Amino acid sequence: MTALAAPAAVRAAPRPGGGGGIRGANLTWMALPALALFLLFAIIPLVGVLALSFTSWDGIGVIRPAGLASWRTVLSDPGLPHALWVTFEVMALSWVVQTPMSILLGTFLAGPQRYRAVLSVIYFVPLLLSSAAIAITFKALVDPNFGLGAGLHISVLTQDWLGRPGLAMGVLIFVVSWQFIPFHSLLYQGGVRQIPVTLYEAALIDGAGRVKQFFNITLPQLKYTIVTSSTLMVVGSLTFFDLIFVLTAGGPGDATRVLAVDMYSTGFQAGLMGPASAIAVILVLVGLALALLLRRLGGNGTDSQLEGA
Amino acid sequence: MATVTSPTMPAVTEGDARTGRRRKRGGGAERGTALRSTGRPNWVGGVLSVVWLAIVVLPIYWILVTSFKSQDVYFLANPLAPPSAPTVENYVAVVQAGFVRYFVNSVVVTLGSVVPAVLVSFLAAYAIIRSPGRRLLRGMNSLFLMGLAIPLQATIIPVYLLVIKLGLYNTLGGIVLPSIAFSIPLSVLVLSNFIRDVPKELFESMRTDGASEWGTLWNLAFPLTRPALVTVTVYNALAVWNGFLLPLILTTSPEKRLLPLALWTFQGEYGVNVPAVLASVVLTTLPILVLYVVGRRQLLSGLTAGFSK
Amino acid sequence: MDPRTTRRGFLGLSLSAAALGTLAACGGGQAPTQTGAGGSSASAPAGGGAAGAATYWFLSGQPGQGIREDSVKRFNAANGGNAITPTEFQNDAYKTKVKAAIGAGQAPTVIWGWGGGGLREYVQNDQVEDLTDWFGQNAPVKNRLFASSFGAATVDGKIYAMPAETVQPIVLFYNKTLFDKVGAQPPQTWTDVMNLVDTFNKNGIAPFSLGGQSRWTNMMWLEFLLDRIAGPSVFQNAFEGKTDAWSDPAVTDMLTKVQDLVKANGFVKGFSSITADSNADLALLYTGRAAMMLHGSWTYGTMKSSGGSFVSGGHLGYMNFPPVEGGKGDPSNTVGNPGQYYAISSKATPEAKETAKKFFSTTVLDDAEVSGWVKNGGVPIVQGADAKFGTGGDADFLKFIYDVSNNAKTFAQSWDQALPASASETLLDNIAKLFQLSVTPDQWIDNMNKVTNK
Repeated sequence: MTALAAPAAVRAAPRPGGGGGIRGANLTWMALPALALFLLFAIIPLVGVLALSFTSWDGIGVIRPAGLASWRTVLSDPGLPHALWVTFEVMALSWVVQTPMSILLGTFLAGPQRYRAVLSVIYFVPLLLSSAAIAITFKALVDPNFGLGAGLHISVLTQDWLGRPGLAMGVLIFVVSWQFIPFHSLLYQGGVRQIPVTLYEAALIDGAGRVKQFFNITLPQLKYTIVTSSTLMVVGSLTFFDLIFVLTAGGPGDATRVLAVDMYSTGFQAGLMGPASAIAVILVLVGLALALLLRRLGGNGTDSQLEGA
Repeated sequence: MATVTSPTMPAVTEGDARTGRRRKRGGGAERGTALRSTGRPNWVGGVLSVVWLAIVVLPIYWILVTSFKSQDVYFLANPLAPPSAPTVENYVAVVQAGFVRYFVNSVVVTLGSVVPAVLVSFLAAYAIIRSPGRRLLRGMNSLFLMGLAIPLQATIIPVYLLVIKLGLYNTLGGIVLPSIAFSIPLSVLVLSNFIRDVPKELFESMRTDGASEWGTLWNLAFPLTRPALVTVTVYNALAVWNGFLLPLILTTSPEKRLLPLALWTFQGEYGVNVPAVLASVVLTTLPILVLYVVGRRQLLSGLTAGFSK
Repeated sequence: MDPRTTRRGFLGLSLSAAALGTLAACGGGQAPTQTGAGGSSASAPAGGGAAGAATYWFLSGQPGQGIREDSVKRFNAANGGNAITPTEFQNDAYKTKVKAAIGAGQAPTVIWGWGGGGLREYVQNDQVEDLTDWFGQNAPVKNRLFASSFGAATVDGKIYAMPAETVQPIVLFYNKTLFDKVGAQPPQTWTDVMNLVDTFNKNGIAPFSLGGQSRWTNMMWLEFLLDRIAGPSVFQNAFEGKTDAWSDPAVTDMLTKVQDLVKANGFVKGFSSITADSNADLALLYTGRAAMMLHGSWTYGTMKSSGGSFVSGGHLGYMNFPPVEGGKGDPSNTVGNPGQYYAISSKATPEAKETAKKFFSTTVLDDAEVSGWVKNGGVPIVQGADAKFGTGGDADFLKFIYDVSNNAKTFAQSWDQALPASASETLLDNIAKLFQLSVTPDQWIDNMNKVTNK
C-alpha cells in the first residue's frame, strides 16, 4: 500500500480526473444503473414536488391541477415564516453549540496520550444510536413526572422541559449536540492530526503557551475542516425530521416545527398535499441556497452533505 | 489497510491513528499528532473531557440500568441506582412484541439497499474518473453532486406517489429503492475522490497487460479502493438501518415495520412503562454496538475518511 | 465544482424536466388506486387476498382491542378459518395511516372510524360503500341500535357505515382519595372548578391531568365550555360553514376561560408533552399525582385494568361537566363519540364485502360482544343494553354513562371528527397554541374562521 504514498511526489501537475481515461473508451454504460436509479427516485420526484405544488390533492382522491392556489395558501400562511424561522434557529443554535465544543474536543483527542484514545471510543457511541432511539430516551429522561429529575427529586431538573417553547428548543439543541458532536469532533481530530508538528515546535521556541498555540496555529490550520464540518452541520440540520418528530412532534404548539415537520404535517396529517409540496420546494431552494452560499464562503472544497437523514 | 504516514511520524495511540486518511499535501514535512508538548498537563482540557464523558455516559448508563428494572420499582426507586432485583421481563416483552420480525426486516432492507448502492456507485465513480472527456458523464457527475446539496427528504411526497404507482407501497422493496437513490450522491463523491488518487501508471500497466476496462475495474480499482468502499458501506448502512422517514411514509402494516419505526410505535403504546421502552432502545441498538466492538476501526475510518481531504 | 459543469448540470435537469413531463400529468385524471382490490403482496393484509377474505383495521389499546379481536375470532370460527384478518394501530397514528392506505389503494375491507367529517371525506372520494339499502333489507340489524348513533354514519341522507361498539361521552373523572385528603367537594359550577384549582395547587397536587401533546384531549375542554356557555348552535354554525361563525362572543368567553385555567396552573406540569396514547395521563390520575381529569368514558376500562385497586376500591369518581354560571347551554348536554363506525371499502372485492356485511349482521354487537363491553365499563349502543349492567362494581358507572347519553338534550360529536381533515388539523394546531398561551383568543377566532368559512 505504500505505493499510494508515491502519488504526491510522482504526479507533477494536477490533472482533472486522476486516473486518466483511455481516450476513446466509452465507459458511460457503467454509470447507467446509478443514473437510472437516481433519476427515477430522486430527480423525478424532485421535479414531481414542483409539479405537485401546482395541484391540489388530499392524498386519497384524484390529483387536480390547481394553478397557484396551493402556493397562495402556503405563502399567506403565517405558519410558513414561523417554520422558516424555527429552522434557522435550530441551524444557527446547533452550529453555535456544536462547533466550539467539537473543535475543543477534537483538538484534545488528537493528543498522543493513551487514555484519550479510550475516551474517544466511548465518545463515539451516541453516533450509533438512531435518532428515534435518542429522541425516545431523552423524552423519557426529561419527563417532569416520570423522568430523571422527578426520580431524583431535584426540582431544578423537573422543569417542563418539553412543554415550554424556549426549554423545548434548548432540549432539542442539546440532544442534537449529544448525537452529532462525536462526529464533528472526529473530523476535527483528523484535521488537527494533519497540522505539521514543526509549526508547534517553532511556536514553542518562540515561547508561545498552549492557548496562544491554539488560537494562532490550530484554529487557522483548521479552516478547511471548519468549512467542511459547518457545511455538513448546516445542510444536515435542514433534514432533521426523525429527531424532532419523535421528541416533540413540532411542539409545544409549533415551537420546534421546522420546515420538514411542517411539510409532513401539512401533507399527511391535514391532507393538503399541494401546499405540502410547495413547502418541500421551499425546503429544496433553501438547501440549495445554503450549499451555494457555503461554497462561496469556504472556497473550493468538499461538497455539502446530508447527515442524519 | 496501512495508514499513509510519513516515516518520521512518532508511534501514536492505538486505533485512532489509523483513520485511513490520505494525505494530499505534498512534501515530507513532519506530520502527526498535534504535539503541544509544553510539558505541563492540560488541566482545563482534562476537566472538560471528563465533563463531556459524564454527559455522554449518563444517559447510556440510565438506559441500561432502567431497562433491567420493573416498572413499579422504577417509579419508586432512585432512577440512577442499579436495579436491586434485575429482571429481563422488559426484554421479554419487547421480543414478544415482534422485535425479531422488525429486526429481520431491517437487515433485509439494509443489505438490500447498501450492497446495490455501493456497487452502482462504484461503477459510476469509476466511469466518471476514467472517462473524463465524456460530457454525459460529467453531466451525471454534476447531477449527483447537486443531489448532495438538496435535502432529498423534500421529495418524499412524490416518492410516496411513485411507490404507490409501482405497486410497492407497504413492501420492503418500496423502502429499498429510494434508499439506494438517496445514497448514490455521497457514495459517488467519496469513491470518485478515492479512485482519482490511484496513479495513472497502474492503469496503464494493466492496459499494456491486455486487461479490459471491466477487468481493470475488478482487479485493480476494486482492491485499491477498498478503504473508501468500506467508508461508504458503513455510512450508508448506518443511515439506512436508522432511517425513520421512509418507513414511516411508505409502510403501514406491522409485518413490514423496521426497527426505528417499531421503537416509536412501542414507545407510543408503552410510554408510561419507561423500562420497557428503554429495553427496546437497547435491543435495537445492540446489533450496531456489536459491530462497533468488532469492527471499530473500520467504522471509525468509514465515517471520517471520506470527509477529510 | 467547475462552474461550467454546474451550468450544464442544471441545463440537463431542466431538459429532463421538460422532456419527462410532470408527475401530475401522469397521476392526474385517475385516483392512485390501481393496485386493485386484491392487494399485490400476499403477506400484506390489504384489500382481500383469498376469495371472501376480508381485512379489518382498528385501534389498539385495551380493553377495546381485546373485545374487537374476540369478535373477529368468533366470526372466523363460525365462518371457516381466516375470514377476517385484523390489524391494530395506535390512535394518533391511525388516522394518518388509514388515509395513506386508502390513497395507496390498500384500504382494509372494514375501516374502523369515528364517522362524521372523516367518513364524509371517504364518501366524497368514493371510497366507502353505501349501506342504506343493506340496512333497509336488514331492518333488525338497524333497529336494535341506538337511533341517535346513525347521525354520524349518515352523509347526505345515506348511511355509509355501521354504528358499533359503545357510546362514549366525555366524563369529568376525579380521584376521591385526593378530594378527601384536602377536604374538597366535586365541582358543581365553573367557579368551583377554579377554586379547586387553587386548593389543589396549594396542596402540591396537580388539579387536572391532561395528555396535551395529542391535542384532541385539550379540545374536550373547549367543546364542553362552549356548549355550557352558549349551547350547541355556535359549533353547528361553524360546521355548516356560516361566515365568521366563530366570532360569536361566547367563543371569546370560552377561549378566555381556557387560558385563565392554564394560567392558574390548572394542568399538570409537562402536559404539553404527554400523549394520550401512552396512557400517561391516566397514570397521573390513578397514581394520585393529579386530582381530576376530563377524558373519554373509554378510559374507565384502562384505568380499571392498569390502575390496580384504584377503580375496584371505589376511588374513582365521575360526573358530567359542571355548568358555567350564566351560561345558556343545557347542563345535560354532552359531547363525545356517539358510537364507533365500521365502513366498508368500496374498492374491496365483492366477496370481501359480503364477508364484511355478514360480520356486521351476525357478530358485531352480538351478545358476547355486548357482555364484553359491559364488563369493561362501556355502554354498547344496543337498545336494552342496560339490562345487562347487573349490580356489580361497574354497574354504577355504566348506569351513569347510559343516563348521561340518553338524557342529554344534545350529544355533540367531537369537533375534530365532525370537521374535515384540513380544518380539523388547523383546529388542533390552534388549540395547542391556545394552551401554550402563544395565540390570543382573537387570533384563534380569525384562524378558525378562515378554515370554516365556506
